[in-house]
Amino acid sequence: MSLRRTLSQRTLWAAFALLPLLSPGIGQAAQDTLRIGAPLPLTGALAPEGTKLRQGYELWLDQVNAQGGIKAGDRQLRVELRFYDYQSSTPKAVQLTEKLITDDRVDFLFSPFGSGAAKAASAVAEKNGVPFLASSASSAEVFDQGYRNLFGLYTDNSTLSEPIADLIHARLPKVSKVAILARNDLYPLSLANEFEKSARKRGIEVVYFERYAIGTLDHAAALAKLATTRPDWVVITGYINDLILVRRQMADQHIAPEVLTMINGPAYDEWIRAVGPQAENVTTASWFHPVLSYKSDDVFGSTGRFVELFRQKYGSAPDFTQASGAAVGVILQQAIERAGGVDRDAVRAELAKGGFNTFFAPVSFGPSGMADSYIPPVYQIQDGKVQVIYPRELATGEFRTGVGR
Amino acid sequence: MTYLQVLINGLALGGLYACIAAGFSLVWGVLNIINLLHGSLIVLGAYLAYFAHQAWGISPFVFAPAAGLALFLPAFLIQRTILERVMGKPVLATLILTFGLNLFLDNAMLYGFKADFRKVIFDPPLGLLDLGGVLLPLDRFYATVAGLALVLAVWALLRTTHFGRAIVAVRMDREAAALMGIEVPRTYALAFALGAFMAGAAGSLLSGIFPISPVASSLYLGKAFVICVLGGLGSLPGVIAGGFALGLIESFGTLALGPELALTVAFVLLILLLMFRPTGLLGRQGFQ
Repeated sequence: MSLRRTLSQRTLWAAFALLPLLSPGIGQAAQDTLRIGAPLPLTGALAPEGTKLRQGYELWLDQVNAQGGIKAGDRQLRVELRFYDYQSSTPKAVQLTEKLITDDRVDFLFSPFGSGAAKAASAVAEKNGVPFLASSASSAEVFDQGYRNLFGLYTDNSTLSEPIADLIHARLPKVSKVAILARNDLYPLSLANEFEKSARKRGIEVVYFERYAIGTLDHAAALAKLATTRPDWVVITGYINDLILVRRQMADQHIAPEVLTMINGPAYDEWIRAVGPQAENVTTASWFHPVLSYKSDDVFGSTGRFVELFRQKYGSAPDFTQASGAAVGVILQQAIERAGGVDRDAVRAELAKGGFNTFFAPVSFGPSGMADSYIPPVYQIQDGKVQVIYPRELATGEFRTGVGR
Repeated sequence: MTYLQVLINGLALGGLYACIAAGFSLVWGVLNIINLLHGSLIVLGAYLAYFAHQAWGISPFVFAPAAGLALFLPAFLIQRTILERVMGKPVLATLILTFGLNLFLDNAMLYGFKADFRKVIFDPPLGLLDLGGVLLPLDRFYATVAGLALVLAVWALLRTTHFGRAIVAVRMDREAAALMGIEVPRTYALAFALGAFMAGAAGSLLSGIFPISPVASSLYLGKAFVICVLGGLGSLPGVIAGGFALGLIESFGTLALGPELALTVAFVLLILLLMFRPTGLLGRQGFQ
């Protein structure tokens, strides 16, 4: 009995082991599939951002696979995205990155969301020699580790503050005082510090610099104090809900500086709809906006086509996080096509060479791995519409001063 | 002038805080349930007001009682069918249950309304009241006045009607109230529904002031908790006192120490109050 059972078990295992050989299609398909790993925050505090990134990845996947996959030398590679939910927890993102490399044997990696998690997970990718594309890391500190496998789509936070400061300095030389109110959170605070540096560099006095706590429901007292400094330029950093509230409360106290800069949010319909006429003339900056008009060598062909396809699939215009997901996809695709295969060293070398004309921006990476090839445009809300006011080659409108009460 | 402006801001904010916390305090005081669903009910009330404003142009100040009534019956049913099962059980059971209901409602709203932030836009804008250079936004003023009127109406209801006396009696002594012929489970359900009514009405009043999104529910809940502890549990006048106290502390704390530390000041005062006057500003000893 026991012998019979052992034999039948052996037969079963043998058949199982031979299955790939008996079905040639299966073995071949496995070989011609490119597997990309992506830890995503699909639940927890960062769930909205995680969902957005996934939408961007999937739109790119749809386009690539509809065209038969990525052309790598004489092979067509179908693309498979292997993702896990890291529940907005950075330690879990690191564990899952390790799992994607060792268990799932992915060929390449897309980063978790944000600077902190990207920095932590990039160490695992570097240890294993897997090229790692960071879709949403904008802090220079992420890229200061000398890693060879880390490539970041966003330019440094200072590239958001410098163009606006330049514009103000050139067009409004009398602007001499800036007030900055920042959300006490990693990215908004880092951005506020960059604005402080950019202002000081141009001799603009920083008359007010305060941080507000995450979850603040009222900014009236902070704004009352800010108003006493009579700034010409006001910079507010935070997220959409903060900026809706602050803009509204500025109007409540008749605070109407010559220039009002708010990041992140005003470039999106949601913010414009929520504040109504008070959106007028607010300036902002972002790495991407649907209003841009790049022609590209990627699977989308242009920013306009990307936006159109996104609208068809999801029913709304993409924001910069959604676009970032698709952008890291097209960059990796171009690098693989140029390398003619999935050899990590060859693809890494192509990534380092740069020169990717994408729907997002022309992307090349600096020595640290951070993109340094484009300037995030400056936008202004004019007559309820988003206009690009800088750089000149992308501009759709002229810079206007003054904001309404 | 800045101090006067901050004082007005603090009072206007305090009135809104009182609206946020009134229903929460009632449910905590009467049912001894820390209702973690409260913030989500406020958000749901705000959505109802937003859609009513979009569809029919109804002012959220006028719509507030309707938003409250829309939540009254569902809340009554939730209490009778779900919460009733944990009445008198350890506090952890009620916490977990209301936390679960809160997750369910938040995610249902995320699914139905998306996480986009929305806001009722008054057209034409309601404007500002200029008090000799000190500005008071009229939307906040109306919301405060309407909110306080609502709290006082509920307070009068509790003091003067048979239904109100039944709630107070159950709160004071459940067994004695039952012996006097009060149907305790029904009274609990009515008290919970009244709390939901106040949450819905508060949401409507706030829909033109704070951005509306399902993710805002935890902010409201956090404020309600602090205000109740500050003012005293289960005391509606205490809610008003707690709301104004928090509004003023946050506003003057911001002025003195900056916005980053304003909340810290509020919580330090809260801890001191818990140490030296654990019943809150206007609460009474004797309710656990």
